[in-house]
Amino acid sequence: MLELRGVTKLYTSIAAVDQVSFSAPPGEVTGYLGPNGSGKSTTMKMITGLIEPTAGEILFRGQPISRDWMAYKRILGYVPEEPHLYTHLTGAEYLDMVSQLRDLPVALAAERIEGLLRLFGLAGDRHSAISSYSKGMRQKILLAAALLHNPELILLDEPFSGLDVGSALVLRNLIQELAARGKVVLFSSHELETVERVCSRVVILHRGKVVADDSIARLRTLMSAPTLEGIFSQLAIEQDTTAVAREIADLIQA
Amino acid sequence: MFQRQFPVLYREFLFRMVDLEIIANRGDLTKLLGQFGAFLGAISFMVGASAVRLLYVEGTPSDIFAQAWPMVHFLIATTMLMTGLFAVLSWDSAFPDARDVMVLAPLPVHFRTIFLAKIAALGTSLALVVAAVSAFAGVTYPLILGYIQDGWLAPWRMLAAYWVTMAAAGLFALCGVLGLHGLLAQFLSRRLYLKVSAVLQLALFCGLLSVYFLQPPLAGPTAMADAGNHRLLEWLPSYWFLALFLKLSGELPSSAAWLASRAGAGLGLAFATAATSMLLAYFRTLRRIVEEPDLVPNATQGWQWPRWGGTLKHAMLLFSARTILRSRQHRVILALYLGIGLAISLAGARAMLYRRAAHPWNHLDGPLLMASVIMLCFSVLGARVVFAMPIALRANWIFRVTRVRGTLRYLDAAHSTIATVAVIPVWCGSAVLFLAAWPWDYALQHLLVLAMLGVIFADVCAKGFEKIPFTCSYLPGKANIHVSAAAFAIALIAITDIFVDVERRTLRGDGSGYLKLLLFLAALAIWARRRRMKAAAELPDLRFDEVPAKDIHALELYRDGRSVAS
Repeated sequence: MLELRGVTKLYTSIAAVDQVSFSAPPGEVTGYLGPNGSGKSTTMKMITGLIEPTAGEILFRGQPISRDWMAYKRILGYVPEEPHLYTHLTGAEYLDMVSQLRDLPVALAAERIEGLLRLFGLAGDRHSAISSYSKGMRQKILLAAALLHNPELILLDEPFSGLDVGSALVLRNLIQELAARGKVVLFSSHELETVERVCSRVVILHRGKVVADDSIARLRTLMSAPTLEGIFSQLAIEQDTTAVAREIADLIQA
Repeated sequence: MFQRQFPVLYREFLFRMVDLEIIANRGDLTKLLGQFGAFLGAISFMVGASAVRLLYVEGTPSDIFAQAWPMVHFLIATTMLMTGLFAVLSWDSAFPDARDVMVLAPLPVHFRTIFLAKIAALGTSLALVVAAVSAFAGVTYPLILGYIQDGWLAPWRMLAAYWVTMAAAGLFALCGVLGLHGLLAQFLSRRLYLKVSAVLQLALFCGLLSVYFLQPPLAGPTAMADAGNHRLLEWLPSYWFLALFLKLSGELPSSAAWLASRAGAGLGLAFATAATSMLLAYFRTLRRIVEEPDLVPNATQGWQWPRWGGTLKHAMLLFSARTILRSRQHRVILALYLGIGLAISLAGARAMLYRRAAHPWNHLDGPLLMASVIMLCFSVLGARVVFAMPIALRANWIFRVTRVRGTLRYLDAAHSTIATVAVIPVWCGSAVLFLAAWPWDYALQHLLVLAMLGVIFADVCAKGFEKIPFTCSYLPGKANIHVSAAAFAIALIAITDIFVDVERRTLRGDGSGYLKLLLFLAALAIWARRRRMKAAAELPDLRFDEVPAKDIHALELYRDGRSVAS
């Protein structure tokens, strides 16, 4: 189980993440939602150890993750929001480097890289530089790199970004399959329809604070909203979206 | 429309004519360019000041011309070298690339406007390089040479002759490189061109340095007219332009007039080739770039690298080797350092080439000994500098997220990578050369010394390198790295000279001196390794210079300029 207790991140005096507490149990996909700038990616980075929380605790299996970083990183798989990769390497070279950095046995790594590239439909482009890859292909490389070592905790920050319909369907099923096999999956996305299909429960963040943490079914009942989009609109959207759209159209026509 | 678009494009092209990030990645560019300008200015000042001695030379104007000859030739050759190197550095900026197409093609801009703006930017850059080399010397030499001749017009004629010659020489070198590059881009398929372009760039870089340092010195204008030198002079453009200068100033012997004509013909040919290839590039290649498929998979895996050390060392070595081989920025900087080493080695070889050396090239006292040590030192120094330059800062997260080993193991892997990448290629090249040129026992002795020197120098350079190669930035103000490296290099040359002298004596000795040298080097190697390991052990963590991007940037306007006690 992944557990956050009162996690806060202050930039100077402004709280990007403010007293966030929730837990993500194994066997479930936990959705982590919020509008832009609500603190989702900051939380993700704190869970990966890329940045340190100002206050609070992050625990995995009941132990603070900072107690043994090396052991924690061995079981962590992370897909970041932006596909930042070493684009001068080929897809196969990048995955090979990640496997070596993770100290995977050579034969096992080769077998998994081969299989992942084939299953993600990248086998034909494995020897091309990542700089020539499309956005979706880069995303697949990130996913392959995150899953290569069979992690127990999987953090997915906008994993569907750039994927075509077929690949998105595969990924949707893969996330559910991984959760069913006992992995802890924390999934952040702006695609509410996908979240609604994939996640059993969601945590909604607004201005750095948790405003909802429950199963989607219970939230529907509580908020009297038929869809997750309705729930999200009530909790995290402050502007009149129709009016803003009209204003933009008016502005460019003026 | 043209009047508004042209200045914008001109300014944009001028500022990225030389990819400044090659020299100072996110560094203080203004400071670095200032330092480079000051360096050229200082050389020009020293050369310019040396013209004063001509006022005290007794003899006819022709005698005084003969005295000024080597320095004027030096200035012409240096102008050609600098403009040639500028053209090599602006390799990807002179011709249209995918970035130009992606940014400019969707906009309502004519190819004609883009082409003219690029030509104007190239012209401005050429003028700046020529002016920087001759800032002082371009005034003192022509005026003094004109002063010793009769007539008030003579200094002005000389001044015009000097600057016309320098502009022509610079234009010849620039157009020569651009023409060669442009023809390659036209005749090869785009994919093949992208593959061989980097190799040609480095080959031209080394070629320009080699010609500059190895071209023979001529005694004076009479040597230029000597029929025995004709075949040599046919292939040395710097002498063509020296002849052009003499012709314009009225001092050229009639028997050497063909050289000045050759300068004109060479310039015309180079200009026509460059102009044609640029026209074709802008009106033909732009379309080819657009039509190029986004992704053409490579069918082959390429060379399989042998396994080296544990998984971490292997990963770091492969990452480093691939970065150097594939990143233009890193390759050019490393080539710059190797080029300096090569230049010093070639300068030593010059005396040998023109039979002025005391010993033949394969003699123990020959320049090979010095060249191998110098190349080794500059290879390690260059590797140390490029290893500190990032390849993609934002992709560094993968190293942080996959850190499953201790800091010391990472540092050890990084340091052994420096030694492997920088020392092994130079050592292997030296092994081939020395085993072919020297008696095998002397060759093996020197190769052993060279290997130990490599290990020591790599350890000395690696101290303070608390990073994974290519993952850290040098931030604004840190552009001084090249200046520091230059100062270090000067000290290095002096130390190398002393060391080579010591090694030479031990090689000629009875063997006991050589044994002592080996013991000394072994002790030095142990000391350097311990010193580095001690410094590494005291480190709390690996260094990543970049700070993760903040999601919120606080402006702190409420503080109203006052500090708040925390």
